[in-house]
Amino acid sequence: MIPILDIDGYTLEYRTRAGAVRVLDEVSLQIAPGQVLGLVGESGSGKSSLAWAVMRHLPGNAQELSGAIRLDGEDLRSMGARQLEAVRGRRIGMVFQDPATSLNPTLSLGRQVAEVLARHRGMSAAAAWQAGIEALRHVDLRDPAALMRRYPHEVSGGEKQRVIIATAFACRPELIIFDEPTTALDVITGARILELFRRLREETGVAGLYISHDLALVSRVAERVAVIRRGQVVEQADARRIFRAPTHDYTRALVQAVPRPERRLVTDGPGGPTVLAARGLGVAYGRARLFGGKPVMGARGVDLELRRGEILGVVGESGSGKSTLARAFSGLARFTGAVVFEGRALASPRQMDRAYRRAVQIVFQHPDASLNPRHRVGALLARPLRLYGGAMAELPRLLEQVRLPPDYARRYPHQLSGGEKQRVAIARAFAAKPALVICDEITAPLDVSVQAAVVELLLELRRRHGTAYLFITHDLSLVRQIAHRIAVMRRGELVDLLSVDALGSEAVHPYTRELIAASPTPVG
Amino acid sequence: MSASWLIRRILLIAYTLLVVSLLVFGITQVLPADAAVMLLGENATPAALAAVRAKLGLGDPAWLQYWHWLAALLRGDFGMSMRTGQPVGPTMLVALSRSLLLAALALALMLVFAVPLGLAAALRRGKPIDLAAGIVSYLGVSLPEFVTATLLLLLLADRLHWLPATGYVPLTDNPVDGLRHLGLPVLTVSLVLIAHVSRMVRSETIDVLHSDYIRAARLKGLSPRRVLFGHAVRNALLPVITIVALDVGYLLGGIIVVEEIFAIPGIGRQLIVAIESRDLPAIQAGALIMAATYAIANFLADIAYALLDKRIRYD
Repeated sequence: MIPILDIDGYTLEYRTRAGAVRVLDEVSLQIAPGQVLGLVGESGSGKSSLAWAVMRHLPGNAQELSGAIRLDGEDLRSMGARQLEAVRGRRIGMVFQDPATSLNPTLSLGRQVAEVLARHRGMSAAAAWQAGIEALRHVDLRDPAALMRRYPHEVSGGEKQRVIIATAFACRPELIIFDEPTTALDVITGARILELFRRLREETGVAGLYISHDLALVSRVAERVAVIRRGQVVEQADARRIFRAPTHDYTRALVQAVPRPERRLVTDGPGGPTVLAARGLGVAYGRARLFGGKPVMGARGVDLELRRGEILGVVGESGSGKSTLARAFSGLARFTGAVVFEGRALASPRQMDRAYRRAVQIVFQHPDASLNPRHRVGALLARPLRLYGGAMAELPRLLEQVRLPPDYARRYPHQLSGGEKQRVAIARAFAAKPALVICDEITAPLDVSVQAAVVELLLELRRRHGTAYLFITHDLSLVRQIAHRIAVMRRGELVDLLSVDALGSEAVHPYTRELIAASPTPVG
Repeated sequence: MSASWLIRRILLIAYTLLVVSLLVFGITQVLPADAAVMLLGENATPAALAAVRAKLGLGDPAWLQYWHWLAALLRGDFGMSMRTGQPVGPTMLVALSRSLLLAALALALMLVFAVPLGLAAALRRGKPIDLAAGIVSYLGVSLPEFVTATLLLLLLADRLHWLPATGYVPLTDNPVDGLRHLGLPVLTVSLVLIAHVSRMVRSETIDVLHSDYIRAARLKGLSPRRVLFGHAVRNALLPVITIVALDVGYLLGGIIVVEEIFAIPGIGRQLIVAIESRDLPAIQAGALIMAATYAIANFLADIAYALLDKRIRYD
């Protein structure tokens, strides 16, 4: 049987000023008809480059050194521009990582679906529009006829991704390439997209190349999994086997790094007095206006407290108010209700004095945005030391604490890797000797292996200093490994606040149950 | 675009013009010109001067004079020219219509050349056409219009005799000759605009062509032509609208110089004549009309933006 996609000894380099960089090295992969192959790798592993190579959409500095890419036996590399246009969108569909940027903001959704049908199936504009409505109906979008006339900014992220999937499936392709299609979506929305993909697969028997950094997720959608590292496929195996019996060291490390709820990393309970509490905390964004329009509630009526050394996980989908909570606690947002600190009830950010700001530190999601690119690491860390009366001599110790060599003080943020930058941000938070550190999605931009190391570092710092964490994340599996209690937020409200052991019980909110069901856990 | 937004926007324009009227009035107050002397000449008797001052209310406090002037403005009365004794309003409006014709032709010429030039440069980035367009643009932006005007005059009128050098022929008298006389001024003004806008189109197009949704459109199998005209151009031209609206400000300033050089009796030339002869009502009227033109141009640009980009909603 001829494979649908046959990549044979493919080697790709990018020419850069610093010389040639090999991104794919003798890669060989086959996808049989109806089969889905998962391609797993960390950032920079070359997994996306492989997708661009298959789509024949490589940047100008790409140099293909060897190998063949065949679609159903036909060599894609030797095809001309015209032939490729007839393959793209017709025989190979693609679903992209970020639905928000992959749709043209100034064209209606209908036009963006219908144009593929008009292009590849020779339909008239009216017929393509009708077929577009059907295509949207097929991906479970409600009221597709009305949706066709709407614009991307008027629909949710999940709906956008469904429109893109409808477009990819519209011309009955032989192969679909998924490039991290759920990464930019909420856990629950992502889980529904995966369900949709499973159903469409069964109905159409399409073959798929599913690219992701998430080994647990890939092992659930693909039959076979290939692990790619620095441009080389290090292991290829049955999806069920790769988790149970990884053979390559790198795969083993990846499997190890996948958070598993049943493997607790924190064993001791919280002890001592309450560090910080919220009483009826609410945050409103915007303001009431003369001509209609009510302020949007980012959070309302939140009651919780953190004790010394406690890790409180805060989960919920985007827009649920997780980060709003962080902004209120760190004094970045005006709030109603009260924040209780050392027995004092603070009613506004202005009442948060130096002692409070010292005790409550925050680490943000994107170190690139939170570390000033024009300052050296040393200057970044010296600022809180000066502010809170630390000695400059502590600098090397601060770096050593986050396992960075002391000479990193002379470096600029752009000279560090993503994980190292986040370590610097953590060191900066700990320079103030805080009682509580708010971690706002700090592992989200990191690869799994780096994430595991950063989490381990946080736990070690907690052991040493007894620090409490407000750990905000969308990764339920991760938070179940480390948190003592879990707060579940939804639409600005705290729907559940319970001990991590109670998650499986009957008493949990239906939404919490939905979140648990949507979290990808590895098979096998 | 809601009705309430439109109303608020129009009120804002009215408010802007009120502020401008205060400024204009204030400036003409401090100008070293005595209206009575202007009217009667240097050799008038003190008694005659005093009589005229009393009649014009020049002895009144400034705020009362402003109030009288504003009240007359609202009735559409810009006052009488001190130079010609004719009503200022009609004269200025006729001049404005000539300037607007010049500006409209320059904008049209700009659109015809700047958009394709910018697109071509973006698509052939780093190629000869991009470099050539870049050089022409920098020249166009950096040369003041009196220099380009002179160069064009020397080349097209003096050397080649393609276009008449100066003068104005109303289109109603002789359309062909009228357009020929507008040729050099339109070219001069539009050259700067073309330079400016084509650069803008180029950089916006390059940005848009690197966006995810253009990549997605290509990977749908759309032809390069469809990707460019169906997906990219519209988004690339959106910011250009704002730039063109801002350029109207330049246009008004640039037109003053160009009208003077080519002897076109437009609003710019009228304003210069008014300033030279200390014709206060004419100065006030000219300045106000220019401010109103600018405010309205920006208003129209906002509306055009909302019509083209559905994400923009004014409410």
